[in-house]
Amino acid sequence: MVDRRDFLKGAALGGAMFGLPRLNPDFLINSAFAAENKPIVFQSAENITGNWDPTAHTTLSQKNIEGFCMGFLARAPMRPEKPDEIVMELATDIQVLDPHKIQFKLRQGITFHDGQPFTAADVKATFEYGSLPDRPAQWYPGNNTTFDVTTPDDFTVIVDTTKGGYGSSLFVFLAAFLPIMSAKDVAGGPNGPLSQRLNGTGPFKFVAQQGNTTVLEAFPGYFKGAPKVPGVQVQFVGDATTRLLSLLNGQASIIERLEPEQVETAKQNANVKISSLVSVENKYLWFRCSKPPFNDPRLRLAACHAIDRSQVLEILGDAGHGSNNFISPIKFGYSDLPNYPAYDPEKCQALLKEAGFPNGQGLPPLEYITSTGFYPKTKEYGELITAMLQEQGFPVTLNVMEVAAWNERLYDRPGGGPGHMIDCGWSTGSPEPDLIIRTHFHSSSKRICGIVDPEIDAVLDKERGAGSLEERKQVLQTETLPTIASKMPALSLFTSVLIHAMRKELDGLFINPAGDMDASKATDA
Amino acid sequence: MFVLSFLARRLLQGFVIIFLVMFLIFTLLRVVPGDPVRLMAGGMAPEALIEQIATQMGLRDPILVQFGRYAAHVVQGDFGQSFVRPADGAATGGAAFNDASRSERAEVLTLVAQTAPRTFQLALTAILMALLISLPLGVAGGLYPGRWPDRLALYLGSIFVSLPNFWLGIVLILLLSVKLAWLPAIGYQGFAWTILPAFVLAIEMAPFMIRTLTVSVAQVMQEYFIAAGPVRGLSRSRVVLRHGLKNASVPLLNLLGVQFSMLLGGVLVVEYIFDYPGLGLLTINAVLQRDFPLIQGIAIITSAAFVLINIAVDLLATTIDPRLDY
Repeated sequence: MVDRRDFLKGAALGGAMFGLPRLNPDFLINSAFAAENKPIVFQSAENITGNWDPTAHTTLSQKNIEGFCMGFLARAPMRPEKPDEIVMELATDIQVLDPHKIQFKLRQGITFHDGQPFTAADVKATFEYGSLPDRPAQWYPGNNTTFDVTTPDDFTVIVDTTKGGYGSSLFVFLAAFLPIMSAKDVAGGPNGPLSQRLNGTGPFKFVAQQGNTTVLEAFPGYFKGAPKVPGVQVQFVGDATTRLLSLLNGQASIIERLEPEQVETAKQNANVKISSLVSVENKYLWFRCSKPPFNDPRLRLAACHAIDRSQVLEILGDAGHGSNNFISPIKFGYSDLPNYPAYDPEKCQALLKEAGFPNGQGLPPLEYITSTGFYPKTKEYGELITAMLQEQGFPVTLNVMEVAAWNERLYDRPGGGPGHMIDCGWSTGSPEPDLIIRTHFHSSSKRICGIVDPEIDAVLDKERGAGSLEERKQVLQTETLPTIASKMPALSLFTSVLIHAMRKELDGLFINPAGDMDASKATDA
Repeated sequence: MFVLSFLARRLLQGFVIIFLVMFLIFTLLRVVPGDPVRLMAGGMAPEALIEQIATQMGLRDPILVQFGRYAAHVVQGDFGQSFVRPADGAATGGAAFNDASRSERAEVLTLVAQTAPRTFQLALTAILMALLISLPLGVAGGLYPGRWPDRLALYLGSIFVSLPNFWLGIVLILLLSVKLAWLPAIGYQGFAWTILPAFVLAIEMAPFMIRTLTVSVAQVMQEYFIAAGPVRGLSRSRVVLRHGLKNASVPLLNLLGVQFSMLLGGVLVVEYIFDYPGLGLLTINAVLQRDFPLIQGIAIITSAAFVLINIAVDLLATTIDPRLDY
């Protein structure tokens, strides 16, 4: 007969035996403050996708991890003083042979992390696979039927874009953006090894995904010499305060996306240094152009003239950089557009009247959607923009959402996306402007604003078809971008400043304006 | 026989409670804004595809039909798979709708099993710390009502209860981890990472324990059997320890049961601030990503733990005081 005392004794013993192996027995041994030659711990503000295939996503945090592991034909440092500079990496030379042919000469003696030698077959496989119409990340100017890739020898690749009718020079900046995969991995298809792990030629080798931490270790066979740090750990930590505290107590080596006020806190700490870079990301106020009232370009322009962007920049402080274009100043083809709409209440009122809504009378209630928690100060400047629009007669209501709910409403849908205006940034780690303007303003893509405008399509096609980079730049600056500015499917509010904070001891790290880093020469002792 | 009938009765009641929790959570999740299929498939997915996926997953069936199907799986121990997390357990997002190569989704039970031990460790440490703080203060306050130990217990309890846990967490990290470098704070790599968040939780719980103990000890010390102790020749310490504290511990035991159950349910704010990879952090991410199966799984499992802990507490209380009848 079991009485309650025996039952409790037995239950307590059983519970203790069950719990014992679950308690970590290392608690008296581990130290949080290991000293020398430690791996770089990078805390990221964004999570990853769970699929390592580089063609399966457009997620910035995962692109950053690829930056450590993967090799690129070239790299684009994208500094404001030299935005279109290209530095050779896996390629030794990139040459536009004619308007539809481009040749890549490849470096010899390089191996992938799995030991496979790097050859022209890998570049061909990467281009042909990445441009398949079913690949989610559509970075290429056309799908695999619009160009041919030939490999005259093991270290030469020629891309012929004659079939697609667009300029081969478009591949120059893509070369600095597309990670090169192994032909052997590509042969395994989308469900093969590509999705299971990263296998590149970069300085760090993918080891494992442990919960929210991506573990990378130094690749001794890296062609520029083995990295000095033993590895890199990329951790997803969603909260900005937690990331900063983690840096201050020495657990993190480097953190990203600091709020402007956090920069001041970090600067006061003698063990921390700050890196600020004008980034590739512009922040936009996207109009839903496929439904009333913003299907009328006059109303879009009126709204743009109602917004004083200098006040928005004041709110952003260190996190914003003024620009007058749809692309960042470090992108190919940037110039301050003369017809980019400035704050002008009189023009705003004239356009409202012309569109049939004098002083905004007769306009339906308008919803402006923004997010909080990911981009800096979105709620604060969202309130300012709402007030400025209301001042001119736009009946706007601001709807601030947490990131998942905002993300659900972000993209265009048949009949127009949710709301009438939505806030979002767009960042691509290449000087290539088409990754933004064609993605968003050509009727074949129109991801957020939903614009269908034959004139915009024509000027976008014209710059894409230019025979040389010089010609393309001229078309972009004098025709394509000014035409888009005359219709304003979105108002680029400012260019984001990429702010990283890192430990003083972390030296030699090169940060690109897209957020990816070259840590091959970094030291952290 | 008492144990068996007690267990049978309480487990039956517990089963009804868990069933109700399961139904409530399931229904509420399906009426809140935010379509999980849109989040799973990606913002760029066309409406037709969204509907196709939702229909395939049975998410467009009537809620009762969906609930029946879910309950049938749960009773077989199958809590389903996370909508978004891969088998390696990483928090993920951003995959596109036509990505056929996404890796296999994680089982809800596996995710809970990976994180629950850490929350269990945190909860246990927090309870022990709270007891260490509360026992001397609460007992002394109860033994000397109206005098300085009582007032000290009251003042400290008032201060502790006024400290918001997110504020205290940040201040302690800045002081003990950033300035003094005594303890690690962010993430989890060993027991040392549990100490600071556990201390924050202990400070949060301590005022209730101190008050419960003070009142309970003071009441028990007024009883006749305590007054009779010295007459029977018992020393003061023996009266307090063997008779006073034992009888005063029943209310504290009940409070501990409730507190421990709540801690096991995931300490959302504290785990978020400390990036402590327990059930709380898992829950926050699941909610932000509308990961219905994961939210449901966590809710059901923690409500089951709540029920079981309370049964154990009641059983323990009847052992201490056989007059109690649950």
